[in-house]
Amino acid sequence: MGSVSSGRRRVGTGRAAATSAALAILGLAPLLVTREDWLNLGVIFFLLVALAQSWNVMGGFAGQVNLGHAAFFGIGALVTRHLWTGGLAIPLAVAAGVVLATVAGLAVGMAAFRLRGAYFAIGTLALAEVLRIAIGNVLPQISTLPAAVIAAYRLSIRYYAAAGLAVATTLIVTALAASRLGLAMEAVREDETAAEAAGVGAFRVKLAAVAVSTSLAGLAGGVFAFYHISYYPQFVFSPAWTFDPVLITFIGGVGTIHGPVLGAALFVFLREYLALHWVDLHLLIFGVLFIAIVLLLPGGLVEAAARLRALGARRSRAVGPGPTGRAEPSQSSRWGESLRRRS
Amino acid sequence: MLEVRDLDASYGELRALEGVAVDVGADEIVALVGSNGAGKTTLLRCIAGLTRPRTGRVRWQGEDLTGLPPHLVVERGVAMVPEGRRLFGHMTVEENLGLGAFSARARPERQSTLDHIYEIFPRLAERRRQLAGALSGGEQQMVAIGRALMTRPRLLMLDEPSLGLAPRVVESMLTVLGEVNRAGVGVFLVEQNVRAALGLAHRAYVLEHGRVVGQGPSAEILADPDVRRAYLGPLAVES
Amino acid sequence: MTGILQQLVLGILLGSLYGLAAAGLSLVFGVLKVLNVAHGELIMLGGYAAFWLVALVGLDPFVALLLIIPLAGLFGFLLYGGLFRFIVRHGEETRIKNSLLVGFGLALTLQALAVRLFTADERSITTSYRGRALLVGGVVLPLGRVLNLVVALVLITLLHLFLRKSRWGQAIRATSEDWEAASLLGIDVRRAYGLAFAIGTALAGAAGTLVSLGYSISPSIGLEWTLKALIVIVLAGLGSAFGTFVGGVVLGCAEAVSAIAFGGAYREVIGLLLFFCALVARPQGLFGRS
Repeated sequence: MGSVSSGRRRVGTGRAAATSAALAILGLAPLLVTREDWLNLGVIFFLLVALAQSWNVMGGFAGQVNLGHAAFFGIGALVTRHLWTGGLAIPLAVAAGVVLATVAGLAVGMAAFRLRGAYFAIGTLALAEVLRIAIGNVLPQISTLPAAVIAAYRLSIRYYAAAGLAVATTLIVTALAASRLGLAMEAVREDETAAEAAGVGAFRVKLAAVAVSTSLAGLAGGVFAFYHISYYPQFVFSPAWTFDPVLITFIGGVGTIHGPVLGAALFVFLREYLALHWVDLHLLIFGVLFIAIVLLLPGGLVEAAARLRALGARRSRAVGPGPTGRAEPSQSSRWGESLRRRS
Repeated sequence: MLEVRDLDASYGELRALEGVAVDVGADEIVALVGSNGAGKTTLLRCIAGLTRPRTGRVRWQGEDLTGLPPHLVVERGVAMVPEGRRLFGHMTVEENLGLGAFSARARPERQSTLDHIYEIFPRLAERRRQLAGALSGGEQQMVAIGRALMTRPRLLMLDEPSLGLAPRVVESMLTVLGEVNRAGVGVFLVEQNVRAALGLAHRAYVLEHGRVVGQGPSAEILADPDVRRAYLGPLAVES
Repeated sequence: MTGILQQLVLGILLGSLYGLAAAGLSLVFGVLKVLNVAHGELIMLGGYAAFWLVALVGLDPFVALLLIIPLAGLFGFLLYGGLFRFIVRHGEETRIKNSLLVGFGLALTLQALAVRLFTADERSITTSYRGRALLVGGVVLPLGRVLNLVVALVLITLLHLFLRKSRWGQAIRATSEDWEAASLLGIDVRRAYGLAFAIGTALAGAAGTLVSLGYSISPSIGLEWTLKALIVIVLAGLGSAFGTFVGGVVLGCAEAVSAIAFGGAYREVIGLLLFFCALVARPQGLFGRS
């Protein structure tokens, strides 16, 4: 047992060093880099991290696959944009966006939580599509920032806003995972009826998950509205803003903290790198990877990395199944295991 | 001749069968008795191919059946009437019976077998166009047995056929099973209704916690005081 | 008045395709208990196959249909063997969840493939009779779309007869009710699954062909058609080919009514809202058959 914990500490420090280095590079990027498209790429990366982490709260921790995530991103963006271009200071506009997104999330949660599993997923997808179509009809004109704002536009500020968003989201999710609420969510994910019997108010837990998830999505939407100079209002409600985070989370490792970050990095990298030759090739690759992961490696890249590390350290699986019959939480995705276990 | 040797089966961590060995001749009626959870259904499922045993062998007429999927076991002449009948409720009686002759073994003689089933169970002939789900419990059991007989088995296994049936219906069902056996089909009967089962069977096995704890001619098993105490109630020991 | 009637008629014509699209998914869902959300992409690919055969090879559209149906069936069979076969190893709840996810990945993959092969442009097939229309009581009936309805109805009838009368059709029905009991009668359940999936895909291919004939296709129509099929299934329930067809027509009419009442832009919304409400009304799932 002793060798296992010291081994983990060793791995922990290595990981901390790598993370700090990455954060330093990302933090200093606007000073080091002059090409705008790199900074834009960074903003998109941070947005996707935030969206993936926020989706993960519902999908990974609480086990509720929400395919309407884009709706809350869109609401946050819509409200923020409208208030900000109307004259309200940007922090207040973003806050309003978050509030409305959360309210909408709770409303959807109340309506849809009778549905289980896949039915919840397609139900939320249907609602999100309704909203997208409605917005597209009510607000068909493009939304462009006022000339004065464009004149004063500084990309680096947007970059740091997005970076802050990604960091904040990750920290919030990390805190949630370690908290009692986080444990309650996982209990509900594994077996809702059993959790109810054990005294966990499943409905309230799911509502809490929805609130956190949609508020963070709304926050991301607010940052997007702050960042993007001109877009069609319908754009932020497009299902791609749900599907990309879902892809990213699964491939990175659903139910983990590092998963969304790894997945987003790979996603953005592949998309940029492959865009020249074959525009949607990154989607093709991710589609195939996604299938492979669902069937073979539910823990995603995080699980793959953990297995490689275990292979490298040539450590026997002294870290056996815990009292609940599952492997160490930090090394695999429990959601993934429940995917395979439940039959 | 059915030979089961050293059969081990488990559901996850739960041991359901341990070292089980039974024999059933193609000309006899053998009963398997035991309380709930003893593993009787698991044993039948292993023989029929619905469940994979952990270790052990199932041999039928010299051929190894272990691990074969159910539809191949049926081709070899071993049929099972599962617990709870499990008819196709949205299909008619005739369709249910007809599907019994799906296998290559049974298909050539489908019509003649069907006529024969209607002879044994004239009530089914009357109800042939009704949806199976609309029939009474006893009638459904007839369909279930008839359906299994349509596969032209040499060995017929039944899992708790008397469950939920009135005594008179159970009696007539047992009579039918006796006739089926005299016509040349072996019968392996799993039952909680020990008295009825042992009244019909030539031999019996007693299964307890996944192990065979007793076997012999039915009269012997029926007279065994432990069996009587466990399955026939406290007063039965006296008589 | 004729305006409303016209919209309704067009809605019925479109609804017949909804019904056909849903029939394939309904079969797969009902038998395998698998939710293939890439069904819309299969329809899309069927449409592109038709476009290729008609516009580039020069075949008659209905000859193309006769070719596409067995080819799509074969593709479905391969798809089952290569992918969905692994999903049916689990119990029902896990199957539905896994198939949703796998279907999602499959949909993305197929869509990206289509964009590469065909570009993202919209396509449709022009035929000699496409421009022609019948005029009945002041209502215009585009000839191509009327033929679509006829073909859809024929295919649904064939499906119904197959499931009712044929040996394997009954085996498939039995498997969908209780696969263990079916296997105990000598039915190879894996073959029944493969066959059902192949037929479902064949129907999708046929639907796609008709869509490209009467309307237009592009690589991104998959999601829309999957949703349409899901809406019809939730409204009509499982288990009846004709019931599904009628459900499709009902959806088409509902859309027409909604377009008349709220404007054409909101056409889709009514179906999605009905869908959500119907889902919530039966949260235990879709397997409670009447």
